[in-house]
Amino acid sequence: MAVCTKALDKVVFSLRLIRNLQLQNERFLSSSLPRLAAGSDSQQPPRFTPPPKPVIIDKTQTVTSQRKFLSPEFIPPRQRTDPAKFSMERKDMVRRRKVLDIPEFYVGSILAVTMADPDASGKTNRFVGICVQRGGKGLGATFILRNIIDNQGVEICYELYSPRIQQIEVLKLEKRLDDNLMYLRDALPEYSTVDPSMKPVPFSPTGEVPVNKLKVKMRPKPWSKRWERPKFNIQGIRFDLSLTPEQMEHAQKWAQPWVQYDMLKEYDTSSLEEKIHTEVQQEMSK
Amino acid sequence: MAAWSCRFLLQRGSGVISVRAGAAESPLLARGCVRTVKTTTWFDEHLTEDNQEFMRKSMAEEYRRQTADKLNPLKDEPWPRQEWTEGSRRVGLIAVKLGMVPAWTKTGERHVVTMLQVQDCHVIKCLSKDEYDGHTAALVVGGKNVSPFYRTEQQMEMFRKAGVPPKQKLTTFKVSDNAIIKPGTPLYAAHFRPGQYVDVTAKTIGKGFQGVMKRWGFRGQPASHGQTKTHRRPGASGPGGDPAKVFKGKKMPGMMGNIFDTAYGLKIWRVNTKYNVLYVNGSVPGHRSCLVKVRDSTLPNRSSTLLNPPFPTYFNEEETELDEDLYDENMFVHTEPSLTLA
Repeated sequence: MAVCTKALDKVVFSLRLIRNLQLQNERFLSSSLPRLAAGSDSQQPPRFTPPPKPVIIDKTQTVTSQRKFLSPEFIPPRQRTDPAKFSMERKDMVRRRKVLDIPEFYVGSILAVTMADPDASGKTNRFVGICVQRGGKGLGATFILRNIIDNQGVEICYELYSPRIQQIEVLKLEKRLDDNLMYLRDALPEYSTVDPSMKPVPFSPTGEVPVNKLKVKMRPKPWSKRWERPKFNIQGIRFDLSLTPEQMEHAQKWAQPWVQYDMLKEYDTSSLEEKIHTEVQQEMSK
Repeated sequence: MAAWSCRFLLQRGSGVISVRAGAAESPLLARGCVRTVKTTTWFDEHLTEDNQEFMRKSMAEEYRRQTADKLNPLKDEPWPRQEWTEGSRRVGLIAVKLGMVPAWTKTGERHVVTMLQVQDCHVIKCLSKDEYDGHTAALVVGGKNVSPFYRTEQQMEMFRKAGVPPKQKLTTFKVSDNAIIKPGTPLYAAHFRPGQYVDVTAKTIGKGFQGVMKRWGFRGQPASHGQTKTHRRPGASGPGGDPAKVFKGKKMPGMMGNIFDTAYGLKIWRVNTKYNVLYVNGSVPGHRSCLVKVRDSTLPNRSSTLLNPPFPTYFNEEETELDEDLYDENMFVHTEPSLTLA
């Protein structure tokens, strides 16, 4: 974690340097241009041209990502439903996305969601937490945010396309080693604690999304699930601290190494993804 | 199967025919072969691949032509239309169940709705009072085009009369006398309007032979506390000595599902007129992509929602163009800004 932040700091610093250089260049150019113009028309006094406004980049504002990204709920599940159903659903999703900016985020990112809540003071409710799970397809897509508030674990399941959601902010864009972080329920509380007044961490809009290779320490057993079992295939837990090698060996009894060769379970979505991505891009730009 | 039976005929054919020629209805024949020969053949059994292709293409062309003809007002004069009166019964639709999606109201509540798509729904036949049951007139409606090559001549005759392609499903709707429509008229999803209530009939998903706990919701018996071989059994089936019988209609294990079921009083939230999709509140019997029958609700309390509906049905040629999406007034439309709840 610390290493990561250090690296980020460096990147930010270098970015700042580059930007400063550019700014200086611009100013230099702009000041020289009117002088040249004055030189050519020798009689008239040089007209005043205001210097260009300095470009102020607000780093607290999250930039929209420019990498190619398709939200996972756009990909229809593998079933025999009429494809027309999904295309109609996609149209509604795009309509909603034109009104509400739904940013790119992953399981492991830290989000802040503002939601209309008639029972809250001020009628809105803002919750900050780490995204633990994404579920559902189409209009029914959901994501779960987890945080620890007053030493009490809180998880809220939000519907991505619910009209009650007023804003979704990405405070920290990163991935974790796993696609599902439900094991944070059984981990030490510091791993799911997020400061509610956290400031957004700037991220680069291009390139790969950083992967946080953090491995969590677990509470003593029993856990809500036997996370060491091969079906969960979890990389982000320090099993060596809570389980003996014999226990890890024993968990392999439930391994199903043949499943990866089951061709009936293959669902290659790459071409479908490509098609849907272009369709969504076209619709969004309309 | 067909090929096999043909071969069967060829081998036995000579003998059988000769016997038949010699002595009709001889006992030998009845003993010799239990024949399951059906004279049906695949339509493409004796066709080359090119010819099959041609047949399929020409049929698609024919379907398109027939459907387009129905939309031509000069060729096809509809029967005189009558005014909507209280107590009239309109025709219904046949729709394909697409699946379920969530929908939100303007107060932020979440509902689940079922999408029903109306595909090639046409009126096939109009039955007058006397032809039907002596009480009401009826309309036979068909939905979803199918291949004509596997239909009997009898069935095809009916479709030819109406001038529409053969349909997968036919149903009868009882209608009042002023609501009859000319056979061949296409029916659209805009026949129903948002805010009204409908009944949806379909065949439920078959569950096979099930015990009483699943089929009728019996409690069963505890898992432990000295139970022997008694966990999911029905228990007693009635009183003992006095009636000395099990009453008729006793709930027992048996085949579950695969029967016609009706969901009553489902609200229509939204109608898509471009793709002919109805968004109906809640769940609907039947599996995905099964054909369901949709009609105006018969519930007495819901009749007030049916004020001035398109009568006898919605005609596409009407002057007033409908929007692509018709929404119920309480439904949240995704182009609106996010809700702020007071």
